[in-house]
Amino acid sequence: MERVDERANGGCTRRGRVDARFTRRTAFSQHCHHTISVDNSPKSCVKRVRYTQEALEAKKQREQAKLKEYLILADSVLARRKRKDWSKDALELTTRVLQINPELYTVWNYRRDIFLNGIFPTSEPSQVNDILSNDLSFTMTHLKQHPKVYWIWNHRRWCLEAVPDGPTQDDADGWRISNWNKELFVVEKMLDVDARNFLAWNYRRYVLSSMPVKRPEQTELAYTTRKIEANFSNFSAWHQRSKVLTSLWDQGKLSPEICREKEFDLVKNAMYTDPGDQSVWIYHRWLVGQGKDYAILSREIASVQELLDEQPDSKWCMESLVFYKQLTLQNHTSRLNDAQRQQIIQSCLVLLAVLQDIDPMRKQRYKDLTEGINRFQTNA
Amino acid sequence: MNTEDPSQQLDIPLHVKYIKSLGESKDDLMYHLTAHLRMNAIYWGLTALCIMKHKEALAREEMVEFVMSCWDDEAGAFGAHPDHDAHLLSTLSAIQILTTQDALDRIDIPRVVKFILSLQQPSGVFAGDSFGEIDTRFSYCAVNALSLLGHLHELDVEKTVDYIRRCKNFDGGFGACVGAESHAAQAALAILDKLDEIDHETLAWWLAERQLPNGGLNGRPEKLEDVCYSFWVLSSLSILKKVSWIDPEKLTAFILSAQDPDNGGIADRPGDQPDVFHTHFGVAGK
Repeated sequence: MERVDERANGGCTRRGRVDARFTRRTAFSQHCHHTISVDNSPKSCVKRVRYTQEALEAKKQREQAKLKEYLILADSVLARRKRKDWSKDALELTTRVLQINPELYTVWNYRRDIFLNGIFPTSEPSQVNDILSNDLSFTMTHLKQHPKVYWIWNHRRWCLEAVPDGPTQDDADGWRISNWNKELFVVEKMLDVDARNFLAWNYRRYVLSSMPVKRPEQTELAYTTRKIEANFSNFSAWHQRSKVLTSLWDQGKLSPEICREKEFDLVKNAMYTDPGDQSVWIYHRWLVGQGKDYAILSREIASVQELLDEQPDSKWCMESLVFYKQLTLQNHTSRLNDAQRQQIIQSCLVLLAVLQDIDPMRKQRYKDLTEGINRFQTNA
Repeated sequence: MNTEDPSQQLDIPLHVKYIKSLGESKDDLMYHLTAHLRMNAIYWGLTALCIMKHKEALAREEMVEFVMSCWDDEAGAFGAHPDHDAHLLSTLSAIQILTTQDALDRIDIPRVVKFILSLQQPSGVFAGDSFGEIDTRFSYCAVNALSLLGHLHELDVEKTVDYIRRCKNFDGGFGACVGAESHAAQAALAILDKLDEIDHETLAWWLAERQLPNGGLNGRPEKLEDVCYSFWVLSSLSILKKVSWIDPEKLTAFILSAQDPDNGGIADRPGDQPDVFHTHFGVAGK
């Protein structure tokens, strides 16, 4: 964290090359999540509090009333579900219980069963559309409070997919288009609050690929640019960018050669702003790829070297240099004479020795890499 | 590491007491608000106890009876709590508990196998239940459960692996579904003996870079550390035989510093409220 402050205090000016649009906001406060996302408990990111015996008693007393109400409610919902009660009353009860506890996946399932078995069969399509739109609004308030609860996101998917044809035969996709467009707006709001929420990113990809009228992928590319400009530490946005670009290249909509140059520019700006940010280096490694293009590989090695000269203690500069030089030895050995090969090998060995020193936690990895580099020596 | 400092040792008696106390807090609101996780919580508690060599601290019969009371006879699998719907997450936990307690003979194995296999989608990924949320976490649950039940041969391995393969990213990691960002908690290939699908060097590099200066591990680049990733990242590194690529002493010190010295249990990071999920992954990581 100190490193960040250092940069913010002006460690990042360099021949006007750094783009002022780049900022590095750490989204660390937004961390809470698990494989099984749980907002009620296990309470992640909740500070441990020491209660006195009396305070503990008082807290328990206050909770008792709430607990009693909740248990009666939850039990009655589960009892109705057991006897397949598909009534509006039952629906109303699921609303109440989910407001208290949106983690009850069984009750979300029950809610959908009530719609499918009790309510939709006697409703006009326009009513079905209204009900689903209402449920999307209803779950929006949940989502704001519990952005990492899988079941809420799932319920929204189900609602969207259940929207009927309409409003008219000629405009059969009308309702769908309107709901899905709104959904994209919702997911953008969620990513504004927490730009690293992986549930929201997964959901975004789902919406983009499922909406009845697809948006051009260039729009998504522009979205990732905005996210990266707001905070280049956002690896989720870089990741999305790599996916969108690959897709645009595969479809022949953009030229990989021209694009790649622009991407190198973008990533270089970020790199110079904070050479300690992992996101940027991981993305850079993707751009370099297998390193088959000797000209690009050499140019990037030179460029990283230049940055290292200015930031002589930058671990990521050194780590990347070793990786790219190793690619050179692997892929382009026929272009090198003995002296050049020796020079590359020696510089890798020096860098790896420094890395063992400045990044002792990963010392063994650097030792293993040293062994690998030494093998080039014996092979030659 | 200073072994004299009490905060730098794993306080086993206190954690055992903490886990035992969890089942006795039935007048606690939070206890009931987490009913949807009960089956998982019992598995986490039991496994943590086993690792600390105190398996007997929770009564076996009572536990097996609870698991059986969560059987969803309509679906043919386990819910997280009596009267909750069957789900793959709770079904795996149930099978794990019954395996640990040597009580798999209590269940109709062919029916559970049928339930699990029915959740595989045409793409090869698994859904969590009949409503169809998909995630490679569920592929892992299915593979692990089928393996414990001795029915892995009924799985279409190629189809399962094919989907996971499509979730692989350029950083060497795997995401939750096609297109998703790499996340430290996704892994299933080892049980299927398909480790050749992995780019070992790249993945181990990505995993090793999860360790932060305070010794803790995070789940994705530029995120905060969390004790539970001690398990996910460390077990993956261990499968890849690359545990030495991080600093285990610093990690151990970090996990120990997240202990609650008063009431027992381990939290996600120092000073936070402990819970059984992080206690499990904390002692397992250690």
